[in-house]
Amino acid sequence: MESTSLIERILRGIAITVVILFFMFPIFWIFLMSLQTNETILRVPPSMVFEPSLQNYRALITGQLETQTGTLEIRFMGNLFNSFFLSTTSVAIGLLLGVPAAYAFARLKFRGSEDIAFTLLSFRFAPPLLVLLPLTIYFQQIGLANTYGGLIWVYQLIVLPLILWIVRGYFEDIPADVEYAYRIAGHDFWATFRKIALPLAGPGIAAAGLLAFIFAWNNFIFALVLASADKQPVTVGALAFITASGIQYGQIAAGIILSIAPTFALALYAQRYLVEGLSLGAVKG
Amino acid sequence: MSDTSFNAPPRRRFKVSRKFLPYVLSLPALLTCIGILIPFFTAVWYSLQRYRLSQPWNRGFNWGENYLNFMTDDAFWNTLQVSLTYAFFAVTAQLLLGLGIALLLQKRTMFNNFVSIMLLMPLMTAPALAALMWKLMTNPGFGILSYLASLIGLEDFRWASDPQTAMLTVVIVDVWVYTPFIMILLLAGLRSLPKQPFEAAALDGVPRLFVFWRITLPMLTPFLLTATLFRVIESIQQFDIIYAMTQGGPGNTLTVFQVEAYLNFFQSTNVGRSAALLMILWAITYVLSNIFIKNWLRLREKQRGEA
Amino acid sequence: MSLALNNIVKRFKTETVLNDVSLTVETGETLVLFGPSGAGKTVLLRLIAGVIEPDAGQILIHGKDMDGVEPEDRGIGMAFQNFALFPHMDASANIAAPLTARRMGQGAISDTVGKVAKMLKIDHVLHHKPKELSNGQKQRTALARALAGAPSILLLDDPLRNVDAKLRFEMRLELPRLLKDQQATVIYVTQDYKEAMALGDRIAVMSGHGIQQIGTPQDIYLNPANIDIARLFGDPVINLLDVTPEADGAGVVVSVSGQPLRLDAGYADAVGQDCVIGIRPESLRFVSKGTKGAIPVTIETEAPLNEKTVTLALTKNGREIMISRPAGEIAPSSGDAYVAADTSQVYLFDRKTGARVEHSSAENKKKGAA
Repeated sequence: MESTSLIERILRGIAITVVILFFMFPIFWIFLMSLQTNETILRVPPSMVFEPSLQNYRALITGQLETQTGTLEIRFMGNLFNSFFLSTTSVAIGLLLGVPAAYAFARLKFRGSEDIAFTLLSFRFAPPLLVLLPLTIYFQQIGLANTYGGLIWVYQLIVLPLILWIVRGYFEDIPADVEYAYRIAGHDFWATFRKIALPLAGPGIAAAGLLAFIFAWNNFIFALVLASADKQPVTVGALAFITASGIQYGQIAAGIILSIAPTFALALYAQRYLVEGLSLGAVKG
Repeated sequence: MSDTSFNAPPRRRFKVSRKFLPYVLSLPALLTCIGILIPFFTAVWYSLQRYRLSQPWNRGFNWGENYLNFMTDDAFWNTLQVSLTYAFFAVTAQLLLGLGIALLLQKRTMFNNFVSIMLLMPLMTAPALAALMWKLMTNPGFGILSYLASLIGLEDFRWASDPQTAMLTVVIVDVWVYTPFIMILLLAGLRSLPKQPFEAAALDGVPRLFVFWRITLPMLTPFLLTATLFRVIESIQQFDIIYAMTQGGPGNTLTVFQVEAYLNFFQSTNVGRSAALLMILWAITYVLSNIFIKNWLRLREKQRGEA
Repeated sequence: MSLALNNIVKRFKTETVLNDVSLTVETGETLVLFGPSGAGKTVLLRLIAGVIEPDAGQILIHGKDMDGVEPEDRGIGMAFQNFALFPHMDASANIAAPLTARRMGQGAISDTVGKVAKMLKIDHVLHHKPKELSNGQKQRTALARALAGAPSILLLDDPLRNVDAKLRFEMRLELPRLLKDQQATVIYVTQDYKEAMALGDRIAVMSGHGIQQIGTPQDIYLNPANIDIARLFGDPVINLLDVTPEADGAGVVVSVSGQPLRLDAGYADAVGQDCVIGIRPESLRFVSKGTKGAIPVTIETEAPLNEKTVTLALTKNGREIMISRPAGEIAPSSGDAYVAADTSQVYLFDRKTGARVEHSSAENKKKGAA
């Protein structure tokens, strides 16, 4: 259809190389740093030739940070656990609350359902601090300050709209007749929901769950404002870690690699659904 | 087959009448979110008060005073200017770059699909962690980027620590993280365009540049609009990258709305001013998000209709 | 009486789909709902099934008011036009759906599924998922699922619509026996008049938000209530010509192709009104010139069909008419010819309303019978 000249092909090749370099280099470089000691990191000029070592990772996992002045306790693994716990629980609760609501919005159009769905969506676009700052004061008063419960509740702000709008699309794609057929065969509403609607929307629910997990994992501001050290996820913990560890750059790099690895793995696994999730269900990939 | 069916007693379980069913299904989700609405109204309330956490005795309504003070408050105008500058440069760069990459990767080949998945990795990186990564790379002592800058004659290029280049640095991080978002939306858009107009144009020998301006771009507009608005709304509220990188500094170079509000609340403990700042940010995003949602819905309808 | 609809009204937004529809169906009877698409046939089925609710009116099943009764509690079997098979279950699980709802033992379930599948000749594909089934197999699976629960009321929504012509022909022969064996009350929706004639004990003709006429197939064919029904039933389609009946000394005559055609004196009320006369192609036969009442026509073309031959001819006024005769019967095939109509088999319709102009002697007969 189109005839590409040699020059154009070369230009395209250069362009793609530059693009890949810009977007991949930081990840690659930080990964290299994570395998080095301060000694090789601080070399001038920087070099890619070094003896790789896993000691940074070992230090993070054992929680013992060796410095010149002695051994320092670090709770990076605690942060990693918090990230896992907060994200998993938030997504589980988000699915429990969001999937039935998505079904109601998709199938049982009721008075005001569209308005409510939009209000939920618009939460996604309000400045998070607007809600978080008053919440710090409320959470103090009702005893939710610095609790997993309080954080998980606030995480619904990002998890719920995502689940609601993606899963709703999948429910809308199931022909109503298929559900009617099961009802008429003698199964009640709940059985039909469980045996027909849920399995058929299954891929969408899984995708929404994975994406919600990624968003929850990557969140920074909620925990920064509402959690203190022992409840902080990696995003906030890593920042504190920089100040605490001083000049242990290799360990910081290793911490970053450990923190981004789970979302990378999930993204690769759920890549089919990324476009749909990122556009809140508007665009199918 | 005997006629036992009708007389068999139907299984009776938890039955909800049709009228209430939707509410039973959606109420838990709604209640969860209503808990979030209360702080919103509290913030409106705070924004109308003289309220410092350090001076609880001095608390009281001053109505619009927090807002009126903004008129003569250089720090406020700085915040507004910094936020808009940040959003403008970040989104413009992402849009041009994202469109360019999408066009490069438009053809469905194994290689292109692989590259587009690779390019998603920055987007999957938590913005706060991305800022840390770039902080490590721009460290004046050992940062690879500082070293590269010195190679091209920029000795002592201080990236985010220098007020001259701080904005550039955080915008680069924002571009690094979010360009893939625009790229992947536009790529999905490009690949969903009907083929006929392009085939017809190729058959008639229409110049490629003309095809791009007159066919590709107009047909891609809904996607461009959705992606742009999405990014404008988010970048004008950017917090993670800037806070993790410089905490708003050096000085007040990068005190965008949310960073300024955060510092006002936790450092100056000026709750009233902080809330008023956020209300103004909210007003801006509210207008933008209404336009966005309308456009987004139209796109959603269209895409679902074609799927 | 196993099913009764009383004054059903159904609106979607502001559009009225069913307006004041009433209907009763006897136990064991097969009632065909026949009409063009958009006439509300499917809506009516869904109302009976309970997946949508009427805005007004009452639905009685076995004398019990169905208001507020969920679809699963109505004891109904239904086959959908688009089959609506459960895509994630194999054919056997699809067919078993009405049985699993009833806490039947696994053995009893597979026995029943096997029996129904065998009856519908799909026992060899029971472990296939719907997407691995051919269209015909899908249709049979959908039918088997509707039958498996031995429902007392069976709703079939144009089940032969989406299958190919050969299969439709086979099923049209097979279905009546199948439905009789079920001893169920059947409501069968179709747009195909031959299917309606072949399957229905009675046919309810629907169009324009309601039931236009209800009766046995023969009744509807012989006594269509209006011009639309006359047109829908009959192949080739009935000849319709604009006429204005006039009175002469002996009774009522209309002019067809410039030739007076004497009608039954019972049509005296229609004299002077704008009417349409309907003459079925099979009520016309070729006659020799000079026969009493012979209508002159010019033959255009002739189309031999399987069991009959249809001639297309022009009247003196330039209107096309069709004449049908059993295949093999000799008749002129070109040029000028003459036809005669069996005047006891012609219908008169009001040109404005389309309603049948009643034959007053027939009215009298009906009154006498009542």
